[in-house]
Amino acid sequence: MNDDLLFEIGTEELPAGAVEPAVEQLRTLVLSGLEGAHLGHGAARTLATPRRLTVLVEGVAERSPDATRQALGPSVKAAFAPDGSHTKAATRFAEAQGVTVSALRRVQTPKGEYLAVEVTEAGRPASALLPAVLGAAVHGIDFRKRMRWGDVEQSFARPVQWLLALHGQEVVPVVFADVKSGRMTFGHRFLSPGPHPVAHPRDYPGLLERVRVLADVGTRKERIRREADEAARRAGGRIREDQALLDQVTELVEWPTALLGSFEERHLELPPEVLVQEMTSHQRYFPVLAADGRLLPRFVAISNTPVRDPALSVRGYERVLRSRLSDGRFFFDQDRKVPLAARVPALERVVWQGKLGTYAEKVGRIRLLAAALTRAVGRPELLEVVDRAALLAKADLTTGMVGEFPELQGVMGREYALASGEPPAVAQAIADHYLPRGASDPVPADDPGALVGMADRLDTLAGLFVLGKPPTASADPFGLRRACLGVVHLVLGRGYRLSLGEAVGHALEGVGKKLGLGAAEVADAGAQLLEFFRGRLRALWAERARADVVEAVLAAGFDDLLLARARLDAFAQVVGAPDFTELAIAFKRVVNIVEKQGKDVSSEPADPRLFQEGTETALAQAARRASAEVHRALGAGDAPAALAAARALKGPVDAFFDKVLVMTDDRPVRENRVRLLREVAQVFAPLADLSRIQAETGVTP
Amino acid sequence: MTFQDLILALQRHWAAQGCILAQAYDVEVGAGTMAPTTFLRALGPEPWNVAYVQPSRRPADGRFGENPNRLFQHHQFQVILKPSPKDVQALYLDSLQAIGIDPLEHDLRFVEDDWEAPTLGAWGLGWEVWCDGQEITQFTYFQQCGGFECRPVSAELTYGLERIAMYLQNVDTIFDVEWVKGVSYGEVFHRNEVEMSTYAFRASDPAVLFTLFEIYEKECARLLAQGLPLPAYESALKCSHTFNLLDARGAISVTERAGFIKRVRDNARACAEAYLAVRAELGFPLLKTGWTVGQQPPLLEGVPASKSWESFLAEPKS
Repeated sequence: MNDDLLFEIGTEELPAGAVEPAVEQLRTLVLSGLEGAHLGHGAARTLATPRRLTVLVEGVAERSPDATRQALGPSVKAAFAPDGSHTKAATRFAEAQGVTVSALRRVQTPKGEYLAVEVTEAGRPASALLPAVLGAAVHGIDFRKRMRWGDVEQSFARPVQWLLALHGQEVVPVVFADVKSGRMTFGHRFLSPGPHPVAHPRDYPGLLERVRVLADVGTRKERIRREADEAARRAGGRIREDQALLDQVTELVEWPTALLGSFEERHLELPPEVLVQEMTSHQRYFPVLAADGRLLPRFVAISNTPVRDPALSVRGYERVLRSRLSDGRFFFDQDRKVPLAARVPALERVVWQGKLGTYAEKVGRIRLLAAALTRAVGRPELLEVVDRAALLAKADLTTGMVGEFPELQGVMGREYALASGEPPAVAQAIADHYLPRGASDPVPADDPGALVGMADRLDTLAGLFVLGKPPTASADPFGLRRACLGVVHLVLGRGYRLSLGEAVGHALEGVGKKLGLGAAEVADAGAQLLEFFRGRLRALWAERARADVVEAVLAAGFDDLLLARARLDAFAQVVGAPDFTELAIAFKRVVNIVEKQGKDVSSEPADPRLFQEGTETALAQAARRASAEVHRALGAGDAPAALAAARALKGPVDAFFDKVLVMTDDRPVRENRVRLLREVAQVFAPLADLSRIQAETGVTP
Repeated sequence: MTFQDLILALQRHWAAQGCILAQAYDVEVGAGTMAPTTFLRALGPEPWNVAYVQPSRRPADGRFGENPNRLFQHHQFQVILKPSPKDVQALYLDSLQAIGIDPLEHDLRFVEDDWEAPTLGAWGLGWEVWCDGQEITQFTYFQQCGGFECRPVSAELTYGLERIAMYLQNVDTIFDVEWVKGVSYGEVFHRNEVEMSTYAFRASDPAVLFTLFEIYEKECARLLAQGLPLPAYESALKCSHTFNLLDARGAISVTERAGFIKRVRDNARACAEAYLAVRAELGFPLLKTGWTVGQQPPLLEGVPASKSWESFLAEPKS
């Protein structure tokens, strides 16, 4: 009879953040194991807490089905001797399959005619298959960090304490390290520790709830949200939305209870970011907001135990927060005693990266680079604000508050700049220069922060590439991918028309000088860095257009990122049209001819005196017109117009190929035609490399 | 519960489990982990179960006795259980009961914490144990020590005694903690904080300290060359503390800092290697005792991790 399968890995408290990915892997591993063992099954669900990873699969088959398959033997040629009798190869094969040679049949295969036999493999009982399936699953879960315990060689995210493995009412024997599977589970660590026997998998979810474990992640999350909301409402407010915190807290408890606490009203004088950080980052409390969005002097903590006297626990939570807030206040008051600008010299004692020097040196380079970028985007009137912001951008790294809460860098810079009487635009730029922090973050609303941020990131990228330390597949300690995407988002989001190559060049100049490198080494790093940009753009734009179109557009350059994106969008619009496919095919023909025949041909434009056909003259005129229009339109940033102008060449190109044979014996005429086609190819050059576009319809989705 | 009763209760609890009650190591250390009773004993296959109070000096944390939470010298209650027992969490929770922390009255939590000590070439995984949001213990399963894999793994429990006492006595500053009835922590140690902070930040002589660092470093190497890892390790610890003093004094520039840390780590690693060689030469004598604490279930899969030292026994390293 089919019956439910239950597999629970009981552990010591797993790290928050590891629980959900691990249980998802467990589900995948068990299901793929069942499939591999040909054991049919129904729906699967997972349950997970800090102390258990569980998968429940309905209706797992009692045994795998009998299966027939064809066993392929020797080729007919090898199977028969000249006299028609079976060779050794044939008899040995039959023997191995447990049949007589007469049972072998001839089958046609792509490699020729072979002898074969149908063999039937008997199905096996689930009890013989499941131990290996579950054993492989517990060994197969991948964790970011693993550890050993006791005297065992095996490792897991934290020590494994028990294994509960049931198929119907039967225990599936599984061992891992020093643990053997059984039918016992354990309840809440303090409220109902157990062990508790589980008679059948279907009893398990209900049993866990009775032993005070809310094992369904979604349900637990919902319970936490609801309880926290209710507690916040009692304080006349609401919970500050924070999905990441909710996820984290969900992985820290088995049986959540919300408790409301408070802190002294005077601490509300601290910047709200500081208060939020103090409550959420270490303590994992939920801040409480008033209707107008301001913080109330309240918090909600999620307890794992419904303690006898909640007031006692709350007193504890409050005491910890009080001491942290007092520390925060102390830092805030101390930090403000020194004007932000007076902290700049202290950056000489803060190392940014060994060879690339201190933050003071980095700030020096950022200032030069930010000024160059400000001029490049045509905002010279901002030079003063940008330079001041660049000078002060990293000064908050020397403050006590940022020392305690690195996440507050930038925010504290803004606060301390304002307290030091810096202009608001400078203060805002200091906070803004870290934006965007991630993919979903907005770019700064004003230019100074964007320009300083771009300079900071370009300096980081240039520095690490010059040192020959680009990120690897697994390690990106300086966040270079994020920095690169940050630059792209800043340029595109702020609508800057500037030369990426020049900007990178300026950045390389700065770090090259610091390291005393020669021009060749710097240029080499620059080329690698631009390739890195190409890779990031490829990934970023994968959702915007077909991969071959992205490749074609990038191949024609991305020095002006805004224009490159406009070209991409223009091509993405037309790439599906039938006449565009024809154009791409015609263009490939053009490129092929130019590549094959153009090696020794003068690079001069075609000479009209050598034209023999009207279509040649027409194509030459069309190409020159189109070329002028493409350059004009691109100069104006109008990619669709540039593309339209280039596409207008399709008619003249088709007419040319209809009428003209390029490969004539008359060498001057032939070479002149190659030169003409080269002109045609060059019309498209600034738009995209059309030869990279998959012209065969149906090849790409 | 007074500060003293807290220490006595923890000692009684761990002694009853079969731990040796060691006395604090008498060389300056920044943490109980650095005492040879932890750092060296965590190496190799031999069992080791110990509990001790370790005064821990952190010069840069000195606040002249003015900060309610920070000290130049605090006290750690350190427990090492090797191999880590299967029920180590339960044994630990029992110890909390013993000092009056009832898990049904408090929100007790094991919150992920990765521990790493670059100057010791050591790391491990485990938790901060929280009591109502307050960290009261660091709980670590050692994975590596002195650059060597820990086989078997030691469980390290480090109780922050001052913090726990503040919590139990419901006071807001360390100096108000009652040491014994009628005598406060402040009365015992406040002057020590003032003088030691003054020494660390103002009165120490960097030139002398630099000289001492060199002397201890050379002494460590000299003693190692004579096959004496235990006295060599004392010199290594002196080096480490001297570095901390220089650091607090602001006498080490950023560019030099990484170099000094490496020198301290190299010392510690060399001592670890030499210590293992000596223990191997002695035939890892504690293996014969069969000394364990808590539950030690038999392995069901694979071979004991400590078997890997057999090759070390066969060919002792230089």
